[in-house]
Amino acid sequence: MQPFIQLTKKEIYRFMSIWMQTIIGPVTTAILYQLIFGAQLSKLPTGIAGVSYATYLIPGLIMMQVLLNSFGNGSSSLIQSKYTGNIIFVLMAPISPFLIYCAYLVSSIVRGIIVGFAVFVGIYWFGGCVPKSISSLLFFLIFGSSIAAGMGLIAGIISDKFDQLSGFQSFIIVPLIYLAGIFFNPTSFSGFWQHVAYLNPFLYIIDGFRYGFIAHSSANIEFGVIFVFCLAIVINYIGYMLIKKGIKIKH
Amino acid sequence: MYALEINNVSKSYGTFNALNDISFNVEKGDFFGLLGVNGAGKTSLISSIAGINSFNGTIKVMGHDVINDVVKAKYNLGVVPQELAFDPFLTVYQTLKFQSGLYGITNNKDWIDEVVERVYLKDKINSNTRSLSGGMKRRLMVAQALVHKPPLIILDEPTAGVDVEIRKSLWEFITELHNKGHTILLTTHYLEEVEKLCNKIIMIDKGNIIAKSTKAELISQSSTLPTTVQIETSNGEFSPELEGRVILREGNVFTLKLDNSDQLLPILNLLKLADVKINDIKINHPSLEDIFINYLHR
Repeated sequence: MQPFIQLTKKEIYRFMSIWMQTIIGPVTTAILYQLIFGAQLSKLPTGIAGVSYATYLIPGLIMMQVLLNSFGNGSSSLIQSKYTGNIIFVLMAPISPFLIYCAYLVSSIVRGIIVGFAVFVGIYWFGGCVPKSISSLLFFLIFGSSIAAGMGLIAGIISDKFDQLSGFQSFIIVPLIYLAGIFFNPTSFSGFWQHVAYLNPFLYIIDGFRYGFIAHSSANIEFGVIFVFCLAIVINYIGYMLIKKGIKIKH
Repeated sequence: MYALEINNVSKSYGTFNALNDISFNVEKGDFFGLLGVNGAGKTSLISSIAGINSFNGTIKVMGHDVINDVVKAKYNLGVVPQELAFDPFLTVYQTLKFQSGLYGITNNKDWIDEVVERVYLKDKINSNTRSLSGGMKRRLMVAQALVHKPPLIILDEPTAGVDVEIRKSLWEFITELHNKGHTILLTTHYLEEVEKLCNKIIMIDKGNIIAKSTKAELISQSSTLPTTVQIETSNGEFSPELEGRVILREGNVFTLKLDNSDQLLPILNLLKLADVKINDIKINHPSLEDIFINYLHR
């Protein structure tokens, strides 16, 4: 286990050594969103009794940064290691592909959780959002983060260049996260567009995480738990198999 | 048990065959030279040993199969890759500390300090790897390969870009490790390094082994290769029968080309018959490079 622990520590050290970019940056962005949207749209009805728009926004903004940073950690770490060539020292070390994958995954989840907590501390004051279901909150935090981290690792493995990775993030991950009910209640859509909104896998993560704060969900929370759990398994199994087969890493 | 066993190893990239059914063994304690021109298959072979390449055949490191017993095989192996690689987030010390950790070693500060000193990076130990020159990065990679004191050390052109003085010191360190029982497999473009250090040599070309021998056996073949001899006469006179062999004359010094060293004695007899007084004779034996080129052109 020592090689796994050391690789995980190294990956955590990597993002902590640039904390201004990896921790403070997301907090600042979330505060700006909260200031602009929370304040300007404070009168906007949320469709949930007793929940103001500012309060509604907080869990969404926290999870948005959790997902973006979990994705960004795995993807950037892997592509940088490929680019500078130092991944070779990990591949040559006596550590199994499973533990290599787990080390990258765990460090990405840790980054997501640290960023999530920092964002919560940063924007709590705007809406006074207090957790109501710690178990839901932790489940969706960890499994949601693992889905984004797994997607980031897959993107980092299959991308040859930084612009491919950037495209993956700009055209797939960011739109899915922004349209996953951070800023709006999906039930506010009608007919066809509501069905489309519920096809977005990130919606169930954000909806479930918000349930942990306000004890209200737009989608079926039991379905959300099962779906997020299964999706986390599938995504990370694909990522692990890519590492195991050495796709775009070994020759 | 061999330090390294290579059995029927083949590797292809699409339709290009980088290694064609290669087999050889490296005995424990060998200082083994692996020679070949660019694209001969040296790095493909080393990458296969290190578990970075997929391949057909079997490779064992200290008796451990690199596919079926991969973890034990990797503990016994240290590789300095050819391509420069570094972690831009870490200092020299952190790089070596985390590298040790990947081998399960967490309390080897004394060894790290010693290795860093021996690869001449002591004054850079707290510098970020981004600030290192190419030669320094290469030396850091050598240190990375040695942090876990592997029984088998593979050096893929470890002195490329390293200046002459430090290269010499680096080899002294590697030779010291060899004397302590480490087995070394070396590839380098500096054939004089191979000639000086290695006791066994294998030459590969286009993925095939073209020569496999001890250094002494290879050098002994030099008598069959073309050579030159410089003969300094006392008064500038020379045998008319040998004029055709002279390829250069500088004052009283005549340089002759011989098809092999067996021709030297008849030449000296002819000079004696011509009553030529000889002051000095210098024979230029073929170098390992000449032998290598000879094999390539066979």
